[in-house]
Amino acid sequence: MLTEQSAYSNRWRHVSPVAKGCFSLCGIIAAFAAGSPCTALLIASILASVTVFGAGVPITRYMRVAAPALIFLLASGLSLFLSFSLGASISTISPHIAFSELRGITHTCCRSLTCLTALLFLALTTPLSDIISLLRLCRLPETLLDLMTLCYRTLFVLSEAVHETMTAQTARLGYASFSISLRSLGGLFANLIVQVWQRSLALHLAAQARGNDGSLRFLRNNYNHSCRNISIAATTGCLMIALTIILP
Amino acid sequence: MTDNILKLENVSYSYPDGTLALQSCSLAIQRNIRTVVLGANGAGKTTLFLHLNGILRPNTGRVCQNNIPLDYSRNGMRALRSRIGLVFQNPDNQLFSASVREDISFGPMNLGLGESIVRDRVENALLTVGMIESADKPVHNLSYGQKKRVCIAGVLAMEPEIIILDEPMAGLDSVMQEELTATLEKLHTAGMTIIIATHDLDFAYGWAEDVIVLKNGHLLANGTPDEVLLQNDVKVTLGATPLVAELTRQLCLIGIDLRDKGYLPRSKSEMLKAITAHTGRERTP
Repeated sequence: MLTEQSAYSNRWRHVSPVAKGCFSLCGIIAAFAAGSPCTALLIASILASVTVFGAGVPITRYMRVAAPALIFLLASGLSLFLSFSLGASISTISPHIAFSELRGITHTCCRSLTCLTALLFLALTTPLSDIISLLRLCRLPETLLDLMTLCYRTLFVLSEAVHETMTAQTARLGYASFSISLRSLGGLFANLIVQVWQRSLALHLAAQARGNDGSLRFLRNNYNHSCRNISIAATTGCLMIALTIILP
Repeated sequence: MTDNILKLENVSYSYPDGTLALQSCSLAIQRNIRTVVLGANGAGKTTLFLHLNGILRPNTGRVCQNNIPLDYSRNGMRALRSRIGLVFQNPDNQLFSASVREDISFGPMNLGLGESIVRDRVENALLTVGMIESADKPVHNLSYGQKKRVCIAGVLAMEPEIIILDEPMAGLDSVMQEELTATLEKLHTAGMTIIIATHDLDFAYGWAEDVIVLKNGHLLANGTPDEVLLQNDVKVTLGATPLVAELTRQLCLIGIDLRDKGYLPRSKSEMLKAITAHTGRERTP
């Protein structure tokens, strides 16, 4: 869990999530306000530099987290640039390269890249529990937030259960051949469904035992210099937006 | 006269699948007393605890707190659960949030307390269980023992009069068991009534002031560890007797009486002390 490691170990771990969310949002607004691909790239590089040099996220980890999204962006860009038209039969497939749309496609890709760096800034500097509390401040529906809280927590519990079950299956030659592997995977899946059901009942009992009768309520974290940090984030974020307006 | 804080009167309960978990079970828990509940797997320990916390409601019979039958209304349950804290066996089944502080705040927030009060309670609970250093770690990066302590802190933050722990020592190494025992001692000294379900007879013999033994959903024996754990039927049900008690008895048979003014050693350390004292007495003419 690279994102997790980074979110809990970066220099800005204890900075208010409101400040980080505000800066990230300004980054997204700047991405849409960017009038040219170069401006979008400049904003993307500012956001990536702030994440790497400001928050102290190692550049190798940053690249590893960004890689899948970058590959997806590259594939999307290519599919916009290059398309195939189907003729009367399969043998008459003809490629179509959109040279006239090149500038627009590049602009879209650069904007997407900027949005990606803005979101990576938030994801790599803020633990999900802080992001959930930020969303709670934004008045997102309680049910959605409760689901997010429980899913995030049970993700780790279930990944541990998967690991343990697979180890137990491997120890009894559960993955010795392709057909046995298929059977074992089926068993693993069935076992997980039962576990999910049992654990949901246990969580319900535990919630009742601790006096819960509705949505999940938690204490909001206190952050040092919260107002100062929010002001700094908002100011630098606005400067970033202003830069996109000034630049061509 | 005994001061019963909780009482079960002829309680029977069967699960929807037909399993009869409690059968005309009557027992009492005394105030400010360290109580241990023993019994084989499936004897009804967890079902008993779920009744004490009001999660399960008896099919017949009644559960009383301070000699008043439990009020199963919404407000009644809220009041009951603020007074009786329940810690389950598996910590992964009761930790809701990935943040330690957030999870501990869950109970007090449900009580509708103000933010500053909850904040103070969370910090106090973290200090009591010795987890203040790990408060900013994510729950999934904690060890099993640390997760158990977070669970206990989550219940302590509700400041209950009674804390019920379902097999708290299961899965803990010796050092963690010692630490947990010290934490429990601290809570008991602070005036809390503690009820523990365990399979560890040596721990029960050394720690408990009152022992309850369940068999097939009914009360088999109740009394002090000396009275209960050396009974033959209890021995048969539990499959063993505490090692210290057995050794003391065997030593007595060969003429080494470790009793000190009638008090028998209850733990390994007490037994070693008694042997040293006995050796000293033998040497003194």
